[in-house]
Amino acid sequence: MTLNKIEEDIQELVVRYRPIIAFRVRKALGAQNVDCEDLVSEILSQVLEKIQSGEFRGESSLGTFVYTITSRRIVDYIREKSKVMKYAPEPHPHPDPQETLEAQEMSERVKKALGFLKPKYRDVLYLYYYQELSREEVANRLGISPRKVSELVNYALKLIRKELKI
Amino acid sequence: MRKCKFEDFIDGYLLNRLSERDKEAFEEHYFNCSSCFEKLQERDVIIRTIKNHPELLITEKTEARVPLLATLKKEVRAFFTPRQLVLAGLTALLVLVVIFVIVPRNQAPAPNFFLTDEETVRGSSITLISPVIDMNQIPSSFEWKKLGENIEYQVSIFNHQLLWKATTKENRITLPEEVKAKMVPGEKYSWQVKAFSPDGTLIAVSSRVQFKIAAQ
Ligand SMILES: [Zn+2]
Repeated sequence: MTLNKIEEDIQELVVRYRPIIAFRVRKALGAQNVDCEDLVSEILSQVLEKIQSGEFRGESSLGTFVYTITSRRIVDYIREKSKVMKYAPEPHPHPDPQETLEAQEMSERVKKALGFLKPKYRDVLYLYYYQELSREEVANRLGISPRKVSELVNYALKLIRKELKI
Repeated sequence: MRKCKFEDFIDGYLLNRLSERDKEAFEEHYFNCSSCFEKLQERDVIIRTIKNHPELLITEKTEARVPLLATLKKEVRAFFTPRQLVLAGLTALLVLVVIFVIVPRNQAPAPNFFLTDEETVRGSSITLISPVIDMNQIPSSFEWKKLGENIEYQVSIFNHQLLWKATTKENRITLPEEVKAKMVPGEKYSWQVKAFSPDGTLIAVSSRVQFKIAAQ
């Protein structure tokens, strides 16, 4: 990929990587962290800057390049934060700024799909995702094999996904 | 579409079960693989929806294990059908047992939760809001969905045993510094909220939700 080509595709790059960076940042800092949004924008402009200054030479994939910048910035943030944490004001609960309409709509569909599931699937999802029991623990609890647990979870996910694709 | 071998990491990643190495490998991967990232986002919404709405997963089978009122109704109905005297007598006895022994202990209107041997609760009626997933740092506060006015909540935090317990009338509580000081990055914790009416009756219990504080 030549530098020119990348410049032409900056818009596309932002569209592609913003959600991925945001996901990674929220996972690391907690979705309710008020700094997430700022950090994502900062990382994104770092990426663009580095690409424009020719720092990205295509030794790794672009994805890995963006991943590395993101990870470094997150580590720095946590380091800064843990220094000042003690004296920092109590963070206020904050609605997730990244909670897009799309995600809300998806969540509504998931809710609907959960309601349609047969009890055997609901039991498994409850223990596996809500109570976060391991596959083996769920198997014990329900008196089925671990393999059967995976089958039930996978099938339930498939049914939910069907609802999401409509 | 062919299955990518990293797809099996999705649950482990979202439920914080991957080793540090696998976690990093998967993170780098989803920056490169749009198929995995799409599935990751989708699974994240599914899991978060489940975390926020466990009530949608409570099945009749789950409820059938405890619901006192349902049992009571059924027994009463059986009592009035013309049956053998012995059966009716037994049913009456059961009704009496339910009325005098079990119901007085559960004066709250038809609680839709129950305690198993380990005191974990299914059919929870308090939804825990935060923390319900991994935390990058020791959480400063704990939050759950409000049930109504004049309710007292008892919050318990556990590591292997009870770490801290406190009560509040808010639907949020801030951890005192000395408790935070006892919490260690890299460790798993769980927490639970119980709700009491003004007369001190237990009216609802949340499930016990686990969270991990990321290692530094
Ligand atoms: Zn993949």
